[in-house]
Amino acid sequence: MILVMGAVIGWPLIQTFVLSLTDTQLMDVSAPSFVGFENFIKGLGNQGFLDALKVSGLFALVVVSSEMILGTGVALLLNEPFRGRNLVRALLILPWAVPTTVNAIMWRLIYNPEYGALNSLLFQLGFLDSYISWLGSADKALWSVMFADVWKNFSLVAMIALASLQTLPDSQIEAAKIDGAGAWQRFRYITLPHLIPSLQVALVLRIIEAVKVFDIIYVMTKGGPANKTRSASIFVYQEAFTNSRMGSGAAYAIIMVSLIMILIAFYIRGLSRREK
Amino acid sequence: MLRRKPIYSILLYGAVICLVMYLIAPFLWLIIMSFSAANDLTQKPLRWIPSRIDISSYKDLLTMGINSRGELFVNALRNSLTTAFTAVLISLFATVPAAWVLSRYPGKKSWVLTAAIFTFMLPPVAYALPLYRMLTRLGWLNNSFSLALVYCTIVLPFCVWLIKENIDSIPYELEESAILDGAGVAKRILLVVMPLLLPALGTVALLAMIMAWDEYFYALLFTSSKEAITLPVVIANLASGRQSNYNLIAAGGVIASTPPVLIGILFQRALIRGLVQGGVKE
Repeated sequence: MILVMGAVIGWPLIQTFVLSLTDTQLMDVSAPSFVGFENFIKGLGNQGFLDALKVSGLFALVVVSSEMILGTGVALLLNEPFRGRNLVRALLILPWAVPTTVNAIMWRLIYNPEYGALNSLLFQLGFLDSYISWLGSADKALWSVMFADVWKNFSLVAMIALASLQTLPDSQIEAAKIDGAGAWQRFRYITLPHLIPSLQVALVLRIIEAVKVFDIIYVMTKGGPANKTRSASIFVYQEAFTNSRMGSGAAYAIIMVSLIMILIAFYIRGLSRREK
Repeated sequence: MLRRKPIYSILLYGAVICLVMYLIAPFLWLIIMSFSAANDLTQKPLRWIPSRIDISSYKDLLTMGINSRGELFVNALRNSLTTAFTAVLISLFATVPAAWVLSRYPGKKSWVLTAAIFTFMLPPVAYALPLYRMLTRLGWLNNSFSLALVYCTIVLPFCVWLIKENIDSIPYELEESAILDGAGVAKRILLVVMPLLLPALGTVALLAMIMAWDEYFYALLFTSSKEAITLPVVIANLASGRQSNYNLIAAGGVIASTPPVLIGILFQRALIRGLVQGGVKE
């Protein structure tokens, strides 16, 4: 059992590593030869790859922090009593349930430079003088994709936070009110500490997903314009399958995996330190 | 009902209205586009309310004709269902014994769970290259069953993780009394643990189904034609073409969203409990 699991998990990684030391092509036209660490040396000096790492990092940073803040805010809102609350809570699952590719094409249609709803809406309301190519301009494309990702994934954070808020006993809040704590103090010293464990979980889940982002960007922009939205995952995919350089694609994948491992190690260290 | 200052109520309801618009407007617009006539969607300024309800895009996608768009789309719908069901079935069969061992015999094997979580965290690109070469050599590319096997690498760690948490909460005394009655391992799992696990298994199956339905990266790499191509790939291709049949693209999106959105609305409580449970424990 252990051997099987070890093999299932470890073997592909080892194979990826072996591949990364060769100049294997996608279609085995010529026998691959062993090239040592050449792919890694080339890879670490490749500006395109460094840019792609930056895109992934920026994407994860912006998207995850927006989703955490928005998600927590929405959870607090939906924890207040108001008419129709259950209906709004039920709606919260909609963005999460919409498949990622559908989310991507939906926003592509909304962002369409000529007939998109966003341009039309902003123009008709008088916020825009002329239509904007949201996904086609180098300085706006990444932000537009991020906005679409936040729409889908903040709902997961909100659902997790809301579930946690519902287990916070009212009596604690009431007691704090009687002690004269203001709204901010009640949030800071009672609600937030109660929320933090579940927010941490949501944070980790979202970071894991966001640093390896591929599908939403690929469907919306294919990494363009001018590679401004090319994430690390898209870079590896293009290197290995579009340029059919499997060997060097594997080397990039290994570099990416190593970086993610460092991230996981930090996380585990943080956890164990907290427990002490 | 609490007594509140009116200014507070106004702010509260204002925020709620903004939230509701943010939640539903994009998807509502997708639905409206799918029911619009193609030329209603290519006007400036945009026609927000369609001049007539046009269901031709749905007809186009769901009618089978030789080598038509409909044929590809219907096949993709079927392939997506087959792949998701197969992946979930295989995963569930493997999950229960694996999670049981991890739950009942902790200690030495805890690294297996760590490893499972670890696989869950690594990017698919790390696995894609050897998997691609392996599937090519076996001649298994463009095949729903092999795609389902690949999906198990995503779905299985998640299922094991969640089911283990649930087995942990089943008292071991129940199994001990079964042992006294002479029940073997298989009987203990099947007759004692399984019945108590059924609700959790249902939740996990639904979550896994949504995960498999959503998957794009492996499907893009490993499937290419109507025999195995899945819905996300077909939809992405529809949208990336130069064509301006926006209503068609929107209809594809609405159809692909229907199963997960229905599951989401019908089983909301169970799903959220599963999601929270899957994460909260560290």
